[in-house]
Amino acid sequence: MSDKKNVLVVENLSYSYKNGDHEQKILDNINAEFKSGKVYAIVGESGSGKTTLLSLISALDKLQSGDIKFNNKSLKKISGQEFRLKYVNIVFQSYNLIKYMTAAENVQVASDFDGRKTDPNIYLKKVGITEDEGKRLVNKLSGGQQQRVAIARALASASPIIMADEPTGNLDEETEEKIIEIFKDLAHKENKIVIIVTHSRQVADKADKILTLRRGKLS
Amino acid sequence: MMANLVLAAFIIKSAVSAQMDYAKSTLGGTVSIQADMETIRETQKSELSEGNDPREMFKSMSRPSVSVETANKIISTHTDYIRDYSYVVSASANANNLETVETKGFSGKGNNFPGMNFPDELSSDSSDASLDADITIAGFNAYAYIDGVENETITLKDGTYFDEDATDSALISYEFSELNSLKVGDEFTLKNVYSETEITLTVIGIYDTSESRADANIIYMNTSTAAKFLSASDYNDGNYSVENVKFYMLNSDNAEEFVEKINADFSELSENNLKVTVDTSEYDNISSSIESVSSFADTILIIVIIASIIIITLIVTINVKDRRYEIGVLMSLGADKKNVIGQIATELLLVGTFGFLLASVTGTALAGVLSDHILETQVASSAEQSEKNFGRPGAGVGNMPGGSSNNSRKNQASKTTDMPEMPNSPSDLLKNRNETNVELDLNAKPEDYLLLFLTGYLVIILALILPSVSIMRYQPKEILAGKE
Repeated sequence: MSDKKNVLVVENLSYSYKNGDHEQKILDNINAEFKSGKVYAIVGESGSGKTTLLSLISALDKLQSGDIKFNNKSLKKISGQEFRLKYVNIVFQSYNLIKYMTAAENVQVASDFDGRKTDPNIYLKKVGITEDEGKRLVNKLSGGQQQRVAIARALASASPIIMADEPTGNLDEETEEKIIEIFKDLAHKENKIVIIVTHSRQVADKADKILTLRRGKLS
Repeated sequence: MMANLVLAAFIIKSAVSAQMDYAKSTLGGTVSIQADMETIRETQKSELSEGNDPREMFKSMSRPSVSVETANKIISTHTDYIRDYSYVVSASANANNLETVETKGFSGKGNNFPGMNFPDELSSDSSDASLDADITIAGFNAYAYIDGVENETITLKDGTYFDEDATDSALISYEFSELNSLKVGDEFTLKNVYSETEITLTVIGIYDTSESRADANIIYMNTSTAAKFLSASDYNDGNYSVENVKFYMLNSDNAEEFVEKINADFSELSENNLKVTVDTSEYDNISSSIESVSSFADTILIIVIIASIIIITLIVTINVKDRRYEIGVLMSLGADKKNVIGQIATELLLVGTFGFLLASVTGTALAGVLSDHILETQVASSAEQSEKNFGRPGAGVGNMPGGSSNNSRKNQASKTTDMPEMPNSPSDLLKNRNETNVELDLNAKPEDYLLLFLTGYLVIILALILPSVSIMRYQPKEILAGKE
């Protein structure tokens, strides 16, 4: 576990979509600070801009105004690809696993990118996937197992930030419990910044800090 | 299939290139020493304009000729240019006690020497004595260069043919032999029309001719024997004149250089109203036909390359579209777009390599099928053209019994007029001419495979450009949002 305190700062972040002549503001001058070792939950109604905020923080989308800084390093000064590779890993609601690969291969991909070449079974074991299950193609696994593979992939990367978009949306209550525990361990034991976007009050309550997004404003 | 066609095209091109080189060496063109008729006419005109008596002028006029010594000196000093050579000695003889054949269209008297290109007024043997002669003597340095043999109107009916070894041997017509009851091995005597000297000849062979108007009183022999029938002045102590001097080049590319050398070293030729001319039309004719095969291969190559680029571009574009989601996932995990393109390129190059290896096996067969088709149409037409131009398709001579060997010609050279050694006999030359018409070596060479792989990889890289542009425009959020 790294004792270094990493800080992710969101400064004056605004984002809007153009719909013909009409401009729809999704995020309106958002400021926030995320520190390593903590689990953050961003909650909000559907269409409140949760996923947009996640996309911006994880550099999947380009900044329009405002800035995002990791340890004072601005996202404007490095490429989105480099930011994603070095600092952030994302667990998608729909898992986003590569179907023609096995569970182990999906996990392997993440560690291959940063050149660490670690054993994927270590991370699969952490999320309760056996070695045999790891050898199966991901589309042969259940939704819960696929979600855990997606989390294992996030664990396999050395990224200090873990972003999770509705990570328990497709899971049963028992599995959800386990997954939340894994995220908490990632923050508390691995000293990562864990940001979970969810509309589940139950998940949010287990986070160290809850941020509510309402009409583009974060509170 | 594309790789097969590309390899086939390269094999054909390579074969054509080799064939061109081969044609250059086998159909190296000819260089002839001929009367410079233009200069002669100019001289005549200027003499007439000076008021000279045309009759006196005509009487004093002699045909430009090359001495056998000069011809042999040219040959011996330019063996690195010349594959072979031919020249003829024309003379007349009296039949002595023999009967001569009455032939339609011929008087049976005088010089009916075949293949002479000189106008009548410049005929070599136009003296009164020769006009009364019964027999035409045709001396060739090799049997294969007799015009009738070259154009296949003369065939050997019995015996064998002469070469430079066969001194005092003669090839007589079937009609002449029948009329005088002569057979192979018999001796007969002709008279020199000038000195009345009797010259005994042995029948070495009997020929038949398919030409209905042919003079059956032509007797063929080698040049040294034919020279015995010249007048003392024409014989010139062995340094007699030879006509239709023709040099067969080793390589047509060197023909002009050879001519320049002859002109520089033998200025007496031009002084004697002779000019040295190059004829590479046989090679040019064959090469244009072969080039058309090459051009066909080029067309195939260009079409296949363009079609390959288009098809592979479409395949890769569809593939990239199908894998858009995978690409989005990889990019969300931090994959560089260049790495993504690199991965697709690697996959394509691997598949391509497999295809090229497969084509290496099957492409040769396809090249065979393609070239067979092309050769049937193009080379056959060139052979037809060649036949029209040269009077013979090149068949038969190489298979003649007792073919003229190099050794026999060498021996004769040392005995008589110091003739130089030549690398190939005329029969070899004609056989090569025939082979050049129909054969392409379609075995794939290492450079063909190299070109296939290089071209294939280049096509793949070019086909990747358009899909790569679309990948570079991808944003992971858009891809993943699109999927969701």
